[in-house]
Amino acid sequence: MAIEQVSAPKQTSFRYRVLWRQTPQSFRIGLIVLLVHLIVAITGPFWAPYGFSQMGTGIPLSGMSWTHPFGIDQLGRDVFSRVVHGSHIVILLSLSGTAIGLLAGAVLGLLSGYLGGWFDNLLQRLLEALISIPFLVLALIAIASAGPELSGNPILVVLVVALVYAPRIARIARAAAMDIATRDFVTVARLRGESAWSVMRRELLPNATGVLLVEFALRAGYAPVLVGSLGFLGFGLRPPTPEWGLMISENRALIIITPITVLGPGLALASLVVGLNLFTEGLARILGRTVRLGNQ
Amino acid sequence: MTGAQQLLEVRNLSVGYRQGGGWSRAVDDVSFSLRPGEVFGLVGESGCGKSTVALQLLGFRHVSMRLEHGDVRFKSQALTSMSRRELDELRGDRIAFVPQNPTTALNPGIRIGRQLTETMLAHGRVKNAEDAGAIVGILKLVGLPVDPGFQRRYPHQLSGGQQQRVCIAMALACDPDLLVLDEPTTGLDVTTQEQIISLLSELRVRIGVAMLYVTHDLALLSQIADRIGVMYAGRMVEIAPTDEIFLRPRHPYTQGLIASIPVIEDLSMSRARPLRGLLRRRELPPGCPFAPRCDHALEQCVAERQELETIDDARAVACWRWREIAPVPAEPAPPAGVGTLAARAAVLSVDHVSVIYGPKSRGFRAVSDASFEIKEGEVFALVGESGSGKSTLARAISGLTAPATGAIMLRGEKLADTVRHRSDQQRRLIQYIFQNPDASLNPRARIGEAIARPLVHFFKMEGAAARAKIADALGDVRLDGSYQERFPDQLSGGERQRVAIARALAAKPALLLCDEILSALDVSVQANILTLLRQLKSEHGIAMLFISHDLAVVRMLADHVCVLYGGEVMEIGPREQVFAPPFHPYTHSLLHAVPVPLQRPDKPSKAPKATEPRRGEAGCVYAGRCPWQVGSICETERPPWREGEGGLGLRCHLTLDQLNARAAWPPTTREGIAV
Amino acid sequence: MPILRLVAGRILLSVLTLLIVSLIVFAVLEVLPGDVASRILGRDATPEALELLRIKLGLNDPAPVRYLHWLGGLLSGDFGQSLVSSRPVTDILAPRIYNTVLLSLYAFLLYLPLTVIPALIQAIRRDRPVDHGLSIVTLVLLSMPDFLLATILLFTFVVLVPILPAISLVDHSSSALDYLRAMTLPALTLAIVMAVYAVRMLRDNLIEVLDSDYVRMAELKGLSAKRVLLRHALPNALVPTLNVTALNLAYLVGGVVVVEKVFSYPGFGSLLVDSLQLRDLPVIETTVMIAALVYVGANLIADIAAVLLNPRLRTA
Repeated sequence: MAIEQVSAPKQTSFRYRVLWRQTPQSFRIGLIVLLVHLIVAITGPFWAPYGFSQMGTGIPLSGMSWTHPFGIDQLGRDVFSRVVHGSHIVILLSLSGTAIGLLAGAVLGLLSGYLGGWFDNLLQRLLEALISIPFLVLALIAIASAGPELSGNPILVVLVVALVYAPRIARIARAAAMDIATRDFVTVARLRGESAWSVMRRELLPNATGVLLVEFALRAGYAPVLVGSLGFLGFGLRPPTPEWGLMISENRALIIITPITVLGPGLALASLVVGLNLFTEGLARILGRTVRLGNQ
Repeated sequence: MTGAQQLLEVRNLSVGYRQGGGWSRAVDDVSFSLRPGEVFGLVGESGCGKSTVALQLLGFRHVSMRLEHGDVRFKSQALTSMSRRELDELRGDRIAFVPQNPTTALNPGIRIGRQLTETMLAHGRVKNAEDAGAIVGILKLVGLPVDPGFQRRYPHQLSGGQQQRVCIAMALACDPDLLVLDEPTTGLDVTTQEQIISLLSELRVRIGVAMLYVTHDLALLSQIADRIGVMYAGRMVEIAPTDEIFLRPRHPYTQGLIASIPVIEDLSMSRARPLRGLLRRRELPPGCPFAPRCDHALEQCVAERQELETIDDARAVACWRWREIAPVPAEPAPPAGVGTLAARAAVLSVDHVSVIYGPKSRGFRAVSDASFEIKEGEVFALVGESGSGKSTLARAISGLTAPATGAIMLRGEKLADTVRHRSDQQRRLIQYIFQNPDASLNPRARIGEAIARPLVHFFKMEGAAARAKIADALGDVRLDGSYQERFPDQLSGGERQRVAIARALAAKPALLLCDEILSALDVSVQANILTLLRQLKSEHGIAMLFISHDLAVVRMLADHVCVLYGGEVMEIGPREQVFAPPFHPYTHSLLHAVPVPLQRPDKPSKAPKATEPRRGEAGCVYAGRCPWQVGSICETERPPWREGEGGLGLRCHLTLDQLNARAAWPPTTREGIAV
Repeated sequence: MPILRLVAGRILLSVLTLLIVSLIVFAVLEVLPGDVASRILGRDATPEALELLRIKLGLNDPAPVRYLHWLGGLLSGDFGQSLVSSRPVTDILAPRIYNTVLLSLYAFLLYLPLTVIPALIQAIRRDRPVDHGLSIVTLVLLSMPDFLLATILLFTFVVLVPILPAISLVDHSSSALDYLRAMTLPALTLAIVMAVYAVRMLRDNLIEVLDSDYVRMAELKGLSAKRVLLRHALPNALVPTLNVTALNLAYLVGGVVVVEKVFSYPGFGSLLVDSLQLRDLPVIETTVMIAALVYVGANLIADIAAVLLNPRLRTA
């Protein structure tokens, strides 16, 4: 019996337009919050009422007012302007640190997961050990090890964030690689005699990007907290840098008098993380994955 | 339906389920009824809504489902409007459910004895949980061991067949009026399936319980159902007594469905034409959902909704043209192959190959001492149940698993054990097609790219030449060029499998390894691909190693058949010799277990001996389970290899004459299938 | 027995991990910085003072020797002397560990109901307003850095509603009630941070279990909703919860650092921060190793418990 030719199903109008309509609420809200933060970070220094170390802007320790929405700290600086000026710092440090961590972790993890063998075993042990040191502790001793000359250097903070995240991302990448490597289409490529490099590039990587993207968003969501914690403890950037964690620590002593000087930067930090977390959750939902928000 | 009081009435049932942002209809205006003690079969392919209907018979509710209208009445009470407490009283007691997957339906952390008494406790049949005596009766009824040690086991310590018997026992514990079975034998081997079906038939006679049996296997229903309802895309399209469905199907879909069933006997009969096209959920017309694929469709069919029209006392059809249409006869099958096979050279020869996992002396013997030859252009079938070693053999041939002993030769050259050490030419000549169409295509690559890969790798083709070849390859599997731009997630299972075949063909291989490639597909899709394979065989002259557990499919495609059990070859030979006496006892039990439409099993098969294959031990690997076992010799001495006429070979202590005398297959004559 | 072999294997792996941790810690703190002595004494130290310190600390020996010496000390319980106070490290550590352990226990006690109750509510009333509401609350709390949360709590319960002390300074002379009052805010902070993460996970696990085949089967057998939840769903949702709890313990060891600082609670975490600022090397090394030990130990217990609770592995 002759089988007739089958034609392909009708192509929906535009694959991506349909996808946007299906995005969950959380994703859109998160995206909007992030955009706001981004705009403030980029344009902030141009329209902030005062400079970040400008003193004498008003009566020190005065509270919320129309001209000083976040009050004035004990050195007479306008906290709102400082928050705005510091906005790009947090975002830059978080994103670049996470990005470097993702790059290092993903490459190591994917290779290790696909190749297996002694390389994988060795790396596994190393990663396990690095993850066994609580990340804040690891960050602190890394900073201590870098010495007094480098303290306060933003690049150090970026590298430390990368150092803390890389092992955790490597673990996820490794698991993803191992999972993908068992799928039949990878076996088909191997049966053809394709080189390991070719298989990794064409089969593994495109299918791992979903997982890695979600991982990036997840870690980037927590990075501001990490950076803020370091600043809060005094191991991050040096004053008078308007880093939000540092500001919270500096103004903490005055909380009884002017709580808004603490709540202001706190609100900024929390809203950034909320935006990132919503974005991550929504992104995960779109890509069909589940994600665990929080510090792991 | 008129007559005595109905046990169950389903009226205009419509159920929606949540998909993406909105709601789709899984079940659309379905109506039927059931009398006490009657067995009603509900059949349809994947996505037709039959499982949803089954769950509604138990009043199941979930956040992702909603009842859109209609109701289900059990003994005149409406299930659909009952409270949870009222339902709790009915469920397990008057209406019981037998699930599709017994492994996941049993709580892995609770002993099975407890899970049985739990039901009885909940419905007041026993006083306390320790009343082991109460469940002894139930265990006996379903043929399970009654010792307390068995009751203390956890689900994972039981075989698949035993787990399903436990589920059936749980369902029968309170002597229900109605059993709802959702594909209860789908995950089981065909011999286990045979036992479960005969158990159900027996139970039905003994205790008179009514059943709603949901399945995609129409042939199976002929063994047990009184009436059958056929569903398509959420709608009920035909209801009729079992024999009528097979002899005089009225709805075009039913006709096509019956024609799609691979028939294990009597190929000479002309048959109706199988279904064409595919079910495209997003492109359904407002009228009859089957119209796009129907040979008799007219304008009115596409526009007007078809309702179930009662023809007479027991039949209903949802097609306004039922009086006029007759099944379109099938075109004659293409010739089996050119030239006699015996004269051809061997493309693959497997010589005393064993695959052992673990140390050679005491590891797991997945394959033991297998030897056979595949000639150029022939279809060689490897048949066996789960654990028989057929997939392992395929992996050894392709180089994914290294054999422990023996040699595999491709056109006279010995193949290296692992794929890495083979030459590019050798890798090209053997192409592997996998069972699961969802996993064998890279979800991030377009179809065109997937097919281009072998062209680039083996032939260094690029640009326009490659594109032309891709179009050719797609044409070979009867898909048109527009598929090139699509991604796998836009295709159905059958389409993806065709793409996998096209990709394999693009390499111009000498041998295709087809590892259960039809098992994950609906029966109508299977029929199409089966025909495609036969066509490819006669057009391209490619040899195939066809692995399957489905003997009916093998009968329609293979030239040579090899039967495996426990990693060893039980019987091997040309198709007609294997499907005719003398039979190896295992081959015979396999054939006996295949459900054939309109053929009731002539006698119930004996109670099962759930034993594992005796790998690596003295004697025959099938001893302990063999229904024709001679005696202790089967467990101490390795059976000799016996050669029969026409190239048949089998391994058994019984002689060929003795086996000839035992053979009783095909068992009885029965009426012909619809023409 | 195969189980013993499994358990023994896990324990060995954990020991190996700790060994590698010790290597990393040593490398980061003593090898990488180059001249440790000048790190400790600062840039203005005289060459004689530096040399004196080097001899005192044995810094002139080659690195592997120093490492083995240190490791030997760790294993035999000799943690060295604090560079700042010259007291044995053990004396400094002991009361701090005691305080942190108390704090952690208190935090755990608060964390349990804060996790289980909301998760149960969310799973049972899935997709209803309660579920959405609780999800938003947990998301917001989750996004707050622990030091911010601590500060806000401090403000609320010390300034707005002054029922708790601002500073949680306690010592051996404090009464039990003093301890309790001092620990409440830090414990509450830790509990909330841990709970918020665990609630989400427990909710997802519960829903996954509630959607599973065997729970559906239990319902279809006619078992009451209560019985299905308590007998079939909850027990199987507990195992992944163990995993979460282990992770939370891991968080605890790190989170304690910040929280103790905020409230000036004299625990293990604030010791670490102080010794880092003072560059008290022996104390730093020992506290980091203990932190890693706790993490590894918690994971090991969670792994073993998961094996014991899984009948498939138990009876294999």
